[in-house]
Order: sequence, then C-alpha cells, then structure tokens
Amino acid sequence: MNEVTVHLTVQHQPRTMIIPARTTLADLLRDHLGLTGTHLGCEQGVCGACTVLLDDLPVRACLTLAAACEGAEVITVEGLEGPDAERLRACFAEQGALQCGFCTPGMLLAGYYLVRGRQPLSREEVCQAMSGNICRCTGYNAIVRAIEAAISQGIEAETAPAQTVPRSSGAPAAGTEE
Amino acid sequence: MTTGDSTPARRYGIGARTPRREDARHLAGRGSFVSDVKLSGLREVAFVRSVVAHGRITAVSVPDDAEPGSVWTAADLAQLAEPLTATSTLAGFRAAPLPNLAADKVRYVGEPIAVAIAGTRAEAEDLAARITVDITPLPAVVGFSDALAHNAPKVHNDWPDNIFATTSGDVGDVDAAAREAAVSVTREYTMNRQAVVPLEGRGVIAHYDRSADRLSVWSSTQTPHMIREMIAILLGIEARRVRVIAPDMGGAFGSKCSLYPEEVALAAIAMKLDHPIRWVEDRWEGMVASTQARDHHYLVTAHAAADGTLLGVEADILVNGGAYSVYPWTATMDATMAAAMIPGPYRVRNYRFRTRSVAANKAPSGPYRGVGRPGACFAIERTIDELAHELGLEPYEMRLKNMVRPDEMPYTSVAGKVYDSGDYPEAVRQAAVLIGHDTWRKRQRGVPTDSRHRIGIGYGSCTEQTAHGCVEWATRGLAITIGTEGARLEMDATGGFTLSVGIKSHGQGSETTLAQVVSEVFDVEPEHVTVIHGDTALTPRSEGTFASRSMVMAGGASYGAARQLAQKVKRIASVLLDEPVEDLRLRDHAVVGRAGSLGYRELAKEFLFTPDHVPGIEGGLEATYYYRPAVETGAFSYATHAAVVDVDLDTGGVTLLDYAVVEDCGTVVNPLIVEGQIVGGVAQGIGSALLEELVYGDDGQPKSSSFLDYLLPGTTEIPELKIGHLRTASPNTVFGMKGTGESGAIMPPAAIGNAVTDALREFGAQANETPMTPQRVWTALRDAQDAMAPIAETVS
Ligand code: FES
Ligand code: FES
Repeated sequence: MNEVTVHLTVQHQPRTMIIPARTTLADLLRDHLGLTGTHLGCEQGVCGACTVLLDDLPVRACLTLAAACEGAEVITVEGLEGPDAERLRACFAEQGALQCGFCTPGMLLAGYYLVRGRQPLSREEVCQAMSGNICRCTGYNAIVRAIEAAISQGIEAETAPAQTVPRSSGAPAAGTEE
Repeated sequence: MTTGDSTPARRYGIGARTPRREDARHLAGRGSFVSDVKLSGLREVAFVRSVVAHGRITAVSVPDDAEPGSVWTAADLAQLAEPLTATSTLAGFRAAPLPNLAADKVRYVGEPIAVAIAGTRAEAEDLAARITVDITPLPAVVGFSDALAHNAPKVHNDWPDNIFATTSGDVGDVDAAAREAAVSVTREYTMNRQAVVPLEGRGVIAHYDRSADRLSVWSSTQTPHMIREMIAILLGIEARRVRVIAPDMGGAFGSKCSLYPEEVALAAIAMKLDHPIRWVEDRWEGMVASTQARDHHYLVTAHAAADGTLLGVEADILVNGGAYSVYPWTATMDATMAAAMIPGPYRVRNYRFRTRSVAANKAPSGPYRGVGRPGACFAIERTIDELAHELGLEPYEMRLKNMVRPDEMPYTSVAGKVYDSGDYPEAVRQAAVLIGHDTWRKRQRGVPTDSRHRIGIGYGSCTEQTAHGCVEWATRGLAITIGTEGARLEMDATGGFTLSVGIKSHGQGSETTLAQVVSEVFDVEPEHVTVIHGDTALTPRSEGTFASRSMVMAGGASYGAARQLAQKVKRIASVLLDEPVEDLRLRDHAVVGRAGSLGYRELAKEFLFTPDHVPGIEGGLEATYYYRPAVETGAFSYATHAAVVDVDLDTGGVTLLDYAVVEDCGTVVNPLIVEGQIVGGVAQGIGSALLEELVYGDDGQPKSSSFLDYLLPGTTEIPELKIGHLRTASPNTVFGMKGTGESGAIMPPAAIGNAVTDALREFGAQANETPMTPQRVWTALRDAQDAMAPIAETVS
C-alpha cells in the first residue's frame, strides 16, 4: 500500500502523519490520532456525523482524503472550544437536543459554524443549513431550537456587554462574552 | 407495589425536568461506542456476504496465501457454534435455523458467508474481496403474491409453502354485525418495508482471555444478558465464562435486540484466537443485513351503524418476515401484535382476523419501534375515516363516538387486551383544539377549485401496550416469556450511590431517569447516583431494553431496591440517633429524626468502617430487587395525532403544514426526556409515512441500500410539533408510569394518510400505501380521476 506524508494542524497542534494513501480524514483522526469523537454514520457523505472544521469550514471527514489536507487546520468536537462552543453545548443540553449522542459531534460542528456567523437566521434558514445532518433520535425540533438559541445568545453577547455590563477590568468590550 | 408513603415531591425525583447526565460526555465527543473501544492487539473483521438473494453455494475459495486464522467459513464454524433456531409455541409454527455463516444455501442479499480478519478494516476488506464464492442462483421470492403462489419457489426446502405461521380468531358475531350495518367498507392497505437505521450501526468485539478463561463480547445490543446466555448456549459453554458489554450506543429502535449471526460468529472465532477481533457494520451492511421492519398488507372490512357506531371489523393480515425468524421474537411478532391492535381504542365487540407471516428472500424482519402497531393503526384508522366519510361525519366525531370511555376502565378489548386507564376521547378533543381544526377546515374550504394545491386534515389514534409481563409474551408464542427486571443499589463508604441495572440505555437517558428514582427515595441530586448498565458482569440478570419497558420495569426494580435500602439506612440511623425508625425521614442527603440528623456520608462511614458501632444490624449496605408487575397485561399509553398537509396536485408532493400530538404516558419521570421520545418517534413515523422504503427488485436485490436512495427525514421535513399532555397514572405500575418509547412512531402514517385522503376527497383518491411518495400520491390521483369509479364498498 502506497504511503504518503501529510502535514496538518489538529486542534492547533502541528502533526506530521505517514499514512496509507487511501486513508480518509475521518480514519486519520479516529484510527491514527485516537480522536474518536468524529463519528461515522454512513461513510457516504450524507449523514453529517463525521463533520469537522477544515480551515474553518464544516466538511465531511468521511469523504475527505487525508492526503488532500496538506497544510490544513482541523478542529474536531474534542477541540471545539470557546464561548460559542460552550453556549451551543449548553443550549443542546437545555433543549434536549441529543439522545444517543451519535450525531451530536457533527451537529455541534455544523451548528457552531452558524453560531459563529453572527447572522440572525429564521427557523427555516437554520433547518436549511442543518439539512445535511441526520439525527435518528431527536426528531430535530430540539436541535433546531438549541441552534437558534445559541445564535441569538451569540449575537446578544457581542452587542450587549458594551452597553449593559460595565466592567472595571478594562477588558475589550466587543467580543467580551460570558 | 405502589408509591405507598406520602413522600412529598422531591426536587430531583419523579417529574423533575433534570438535565441529562449523559450529555456532558457526548457533547465533548467522549462517548465510547464499539468502534471507539481501544484494545491492544485488536484486529478487524470484514464479512463476505451474499450478493444473490436466493441460491445454492457451490464453492467458497480461500486465497492460498491467507494467513492461518484469518479466514473462516461455515465449514470452520460448524464445530464451534450451533446455528440459532427461534421457536414458537404457536400452532403450526415452522422454525428455520439461522446459520451463523451460510453453508449450502443463501436466502437474502447480505447473508454472511465468510469472515476475513486483518490489521485494519481496509485490509480485512482487501482480504474479503479475494475470497470467491460461487452461487447458483435460484428464483427469488420477494413480494406476497410471489410467496403465496401455488408453484412458488420455497425459501426453506422442507416447508410445504412459504408461511411461518397462520393465526386466526373470531370473537362475537361479525356476520350479524355486517347484516345490521348501515355502512360497510372494505379497503386494502400496504405499509412497505423499512430499514430501522440507528445512526450507529451494529458492532461487535470478541476476546477470549485465556488466563481468566473468560470470553468478553462487546456489542451494540439492547439485550446484553440475553446475548450472553444465547452465545453460551450456542457455543456449548457455561454462561459464567461469558461477559457481554454494551458500551455507548448510537440508537437501536429495536434493530439491536435480536441475537445476530455476527455476534455468534465473532464469539466462536475469538475462542480460537489469542487476540481480540472487531466487526463494525458499514452502512450497506446496515441496510441489507440488520433486521428490517414493517412490510405489511391488510384487507380490512368494517361495519358501522348509521349513527357511526362501529359494529364489527374483519382483518386479513399479511406480514413479510424475510428469510428467517430472529431470536427470540420469531417472524410472527408483527402479525400477532397487528392482530391485537386492529380493534384500536374502540369499543367494537365483533372481530374476526387471520394473520399469515410469510417467508421471502429478504433480510429477516425484527422489532422496530411500534412493532406491528404502525401498520395496524394505519389500517384501522384509515378505515375509520372511510366509514366517517360514508356516514357524513367528521372523522374525529366518529372516534369520539366509539372510543373506550374513562368510566369503562379497565376495559378488555375484543382482542383480549386490558386497557388499564386513560381518557381516550379527551385526547381526540384536545388534538382537534391544538391543531386548530375549525380554522383549518375554513382554510381548506377557501382553497379555490382551480388551485393546484389542496389542504387536508387527518387524525390517528392508538393505544400502546407497554411494559407487559410474561402472560402477554406467552400468548404471542414466545419461547421465552419476558417479564422481570432486576436492580441493585449500593451506598458506598462516602455516602454515594451506585445503581446497577441489566437494561441497556441507548439514547433514552436512563442514567438520568433511574437516578431520579433513587433521588425520589433518598433526596439526593442525581449526580450522586452512578447508574451502571450494559455489562453482564456488573449488573443483575435482565431481559433488556425493548417494548417500551425500561422505565417501568427497571424503574420498578430500582424503586424496590431503593426502598429496601432506605429501610436499612433508617434502621442504622435509628441505632445511631437513638430514635425510632418511624420518626425518621430521608431529606437532603441525610436521615432526619425529631431530635437529630445524620448525613449519609457519616452514616455510611460509621456503618461500613466501624460496624461494631451499630449493633444488631446485619452487614452490607446494598439491596437487590427483582420487579415483576403484579398485573402482567401491561400499562397502555395512548395518543391522538392530528396532521395538516398540503398536497401538490401536479407533483403528488405532500408537505406537512402542522402536526399536533396529545398523549398520555401516565406519570412522567422527566418531561425533557418524554418529549424527546415523542418528537423522535413522530419523526420516524413521518419517515414511515412519507419517505422511507426499502425497495427490492423482482430478483430480490435491495435497491435502496444507501442514504442516497433510502430517504431519512431531515430538519426540513419535521415541523415544530405541538404537544399536549394528559396524565392518567397507571394503576398497574410503580408511580403510575407507562412506557412511551414507541408511541410517537405509531400514528403518523395514519394521521398523514387520513390528511392526504381528506385533501383528495373531491377526486376520490386515497392514500392507502406507505410511504406516500409523490409518485404514489400522483398515481392514486390519476387513477382515481381516470376511473371515477367507486372503490369496493357497499352501502346498504
Ligand atoms: S459519515 Fe460522513 S457523512 Fe455520514
Ligand atoms: S441523538 Fe441519536 S442520532 Fe442524534
């Protein structure tokens, strides 16, 4: 089996991987780096469970050849951090947006991309944007509500603190988030 | 057992909307599913499977250079494991041994033939591709007419025909009802075959540890204890040597509660190897070789009086069970359930039925959320609407008129089911209000006749038997009569709780709800209770999670164990506080008396570290309780669903405009989780109604074996549901709980089928087959317009 060398950054850490050329990004993450939070629900590019951020864009790791990721930055659910990620997680738990948890990593990554966008979205727009992620357990209502809530909280957090939460520490107003 | 003492409502107990304890690990990507398990020396398995639906195996050739122990065929496995044979006590039932690996004949595409083992899955697939299988094809049996034809090829050569079993019944006097009736209608209904599709497929790891003489099997299974016992029996070893672990599971919905050949094959092979082996089902395998579901056909005749009173029902039911009976359910499970559920929530007293469970060259059928009920509900509820239409009644009025009333509870249905409690008509009334019935009727009437769209309103009602005991399973012919659950609760030396249960939570949130049961008794936050499930070495014997039984059965067992332990804790406190047991209460992590109080932590430390300080109390700070319901006929949940659809007359496309559910699952343990079960169930039911169909060609080739051609509902297909709740405690269960895992999935085909038919009334087209794809709806519309002839019905 042909091997290739790939340099990429995973959760902000540079990695050099020598892997069989046919290895997918999902298999690289799961089998070579032990990052099993990226789930495989179909390996056909349909269910979205394998969604990761590749250079800040949500992609299907099952259809992405690892060898094509030379120089790329990858973030998986294990490395998804920061206020947007945390508010999204909190909204998921509060709304009941997960049951078995198998679709959840993909939902979080795809949802995070929307939350970070700071664009108010209608329910229909959220549904459209999330239509490539399949959940067999929840029936989606709670997932859609959780993402809607996290989007508005993200927008509020960006605009509100400057006016309503005075801080003595002198922390920059914009982008200060709870 | 009842809730007994007058415990005030606990903060985290029954009814609390506590957040799920499972969430943190899944939200962090730290769940551990079978495919995530890390074991040293683990090698991966790929199966060679039949690509022919029906045929004779003439040769299986293994590559000469395959390493010893890397390829296994039926010949290798023959001495290691018996084939699985599901039996039934139903008269005339025909058993068919289910081979672990096919030996002489293959009976469906996807049937396992050989095992290839290598360092990675990709390499195992490379090896599998080099194993050649020669098969002489035989004509395949696919649909009902093929299977029942006089000269049909036989799926099992030693059977006289292709029928697993026939059942029938005749209660009351249907013929007299027919003579009395003002209206009789006859309709045919089809609910096509579906895949179950948990997002995580099946997966198995097997490892024989020579030093411990223990075979460990990890499996994504709803029934770890049952799997353990059957693996031991089929391998001819004592079950003490087998441990089954079900780690985190990505859903199951019934598809992971039968024993599978892959589990037996891996276990048998692992006994001969010195390293663990793992097989993870890929999506193609999931679509062709996991148990499938539905595939029902109904011929229903119903008779009603002019005032809408339902007088009698006749049903001829066919279920395509696929090639084999799965253990322990057998291929007759759907048919017997469907026959019992055709009378629905109605007071009908005359009922005649026949069921035939048919064998065909498709993957074996197994349980799927609702088991038989979605089809039966579709058939009877569509028929109720047809009667209502003939009589000029609003369909919901027809339901109100005929439903069992609360003052008639408990009510024994014409099929012998004992409906325990509830207000069925109230669910209909509230569903009509919730959906805005009158407003939609107005809007419907306002649609101009030249519009290319129509609006329709439809209802579906059903009762759902849950958490039934031995009696029920025995009447359905099961060789094992299920009906007991165990739980063990320990308080440790730091005052923490560990609850061990043999059921397997796989998305239902039982780690949360069972902890709430302990909270209810001990008044501690659920995070102080560890719930262990899914490991036969750590949990009391159990039957598993299926049939909407876990909350009632394992909840009942957990409550029993908690009450026993609470008694002991109070006795210990009574000694230490020097107060009578009757004066002691459990409050906020402590035993509280009139004079003093003692925290669980101090109490446990005192009792376990220095038992001599607590004279007269026997050792051990734990209790085990086995729950068996006193009334074994089950606790019946019920619901009415209402759907509003838009039908596009040019494309046949159906869009859901609104959807409402009014349900009653008795006492609710956690509203967040119950709502999740309802919405998730409805989404699957919408899939059944509109999207999902496993299509088989005439040659038995599965044609929808990927997510590209098997359509699952997505975010854009499921509207935000309106949900109303009724709460009638079951008299038969602890706390009055009723199961609710399946209910949501049962009614959508009925409600949506009625709505689509309502939309198309003026054209005379009916939605009598699921899924109601654009093509089916469009064809029904065209045929109705072409014919403009009445469908088989008699008006006397
Ligand atoms: S696993 Fe990649 S889209 Fe389903
Ligand atoms: S929570 Fe199970 S698939 Fe989404």
